[in-house]
Amino acid sequence: MDETTRTVLQRVVRKVPATRLREVLRTWGRVPARQLDLLDFSTSKFVLFEDVRSLCEVNSNRLTLKHVCELEMIYFIGNPAQGVWRACHLTEPDDDVMTVELRQFKEQFKARLTELISNVSVKIKKHDDEAVWIRIAWGDHFHRPNQLKPTYVVHHLQTPYVFVYNLSTKHKPLLYQALVLATRHGSMKDSHLSGKSLTSIRDFLMRSYQQAFPTKYARPLQEKNTAPTNPNIEKEHAEQEEKRLQLACEAFGEGNVPRLETATYKLETRYRGSGNETLNNREEPFRALIKFSSANLLVSLNHCVSAGMAETPVTPLLSSITQKGKNYFVITDKGSGNSSQSMVQKK
Amino acid sequence: MSTLKPFSKIPELNSANVLLVENEEQFQKKLADVIVNAEKDVSVGVRLARRLPLPVENEETRPCIDLVVFIINLSFERSFQSVELSLKYVDPGFFLGKVCFLVTGARCWSVSSDRLQSVRKLATSLRCPLLYAEDQTVEGVNTAAARLLRVLKVTAGLTPWATGLSLSTLTRCTLSSDLEGDFD
Repeated sequence: MDETTRTVLQRVVRKVPATRLREVLRTWGRVPARQLDLLDFSTSKFVLFEDVRSLCEVNSNRLTLKHVCELEMIYFIGNPAQGVWRACHLTEPDDDVMTVELRQFKEQFKARLTELISNVSVKIKKHDDEAVWIRIAWGDHFHRPNQLKPTYVVHHLQTPYVFVYNLSTKHKPLLYQALVLATRHGSMKDSHLSGKSLTSIRDFLMRSYQQAFPTKYARPLQEKNTAPTNPNIEKEHAEQEEKRLQLACEAFGEGNVPRLETATYKLETRYRGSGNETLNNREEPFRALIKFSSANLLVSLNHCVSAGMAETPVTPLLSSITQKGKNYFVITDKGSGNSSQSMVQKK
Repeated sequence: MSTLKPFSKIPELNSANVLLVENEEQFQKKLADVIVNAEKDVSVGVRLARRLPLPVENEETRPCIDLVVFIINLSFERSFQSVELSLKYVDPGFFLGKVCFLVTGARCWSVSSDRLQSVRKLATSLRCPLLYAEDQTVEGVNTAAARLLRVLKVTAGLTPWATGLSLSTLTRCTLSSDLEGDFD
């Protein structure tokens, strides 16, 4: 076992929680299950690593980096919520885009990427849910690939969506080009969507969550799950409340919506208020960054609107989060839509 | 859109109706539940509104309102603004003892004292009582509900020898002398 393999293995053993380690090692299949059962997972990670290493060395005499990377991937695929995932979008598909299959994609992608950059290690694995997971460790002309900071890419074949984890700007064009060529598309661009949970971003982008659509008629009674109220309490604005709830659900989905953590608005607009001369007559735009953050942003915004804290109808700035599938917006000065952020009082 | 009038409806026997106006609609729901369940002798009706004017469609079903309570949450700037706008739609007759203000969130650290001061000025200028309530705890809600109920019974004429106007004269909000100079 060489030094890099050792380090990566150590890193994986340290990263995986002790309760999950047995399961991950079993899925990996390099260590016999009987010997795994004898391991004591309650000891310190340092001792545990030494045990796992000796087991690996005994059982498979030539444990290479490839195998250890596979172990890391197994854990990562099982627990993808570890950092920020970004969504990208493939555009301009070729005519034969539907014919791309896994083996061909693998070969193409590896070949293209190694053409672009010499020192790179790529590992591709297909997950159960039709997703292709790619682990890329980047190096350059003088350095060997850095296995400790790999980039993960998830792509569902025949869809235009790509999800990227831990990609530096330096390697962005390389990855984009390799992906574009391997999937037979014309170009690829950032979707301006990011979040901590991969499944949430995917569901959000593919719109696989419960949505409400505008209807002319009120919804049937059984759908409204309201608690029985005292006949002596009468709401004067019950209709409006109902309408607000409907509007909120139309804008932000209802029930179990995907978790998004942030929404960022970059303003490059002119100040158009009255009374502030220093801000009013400036040549360059007024730059500001507005960030909404919450444990579950869509639920929070939904509540803001349905509780009447934000004005209805919902401002397009907020509703375009779901409509356009983005959570990063740049608002330039084209006349409409500036200063609408004041509509939301508190979040 | 019409103004709310105190004597447009005939009052019913052994009943009292209170209108709770709150922009946030959080505290009023809790209050309403307690008020309705607390009183057994007379039938107490609670109307919840976000702001005035009230919708014209409910005009027919709305009973005679005996007390209008404006709930102001000091944590929200808009809460006060909304009440200020709503006051325009209240008939002057109501201000003879049938309006009171209820302030919540006054204990909150982050709230500036200016907000409370402007609420007090408003209540003083309208000669109305100003009550304080704690909206986060159950006891706070119960206490506030009990107070309102007592005021409601007086304004609805269910308490002998007391009228809303007399009660209001005794309990109306006053400012300390240096601030009062602004009004007189």
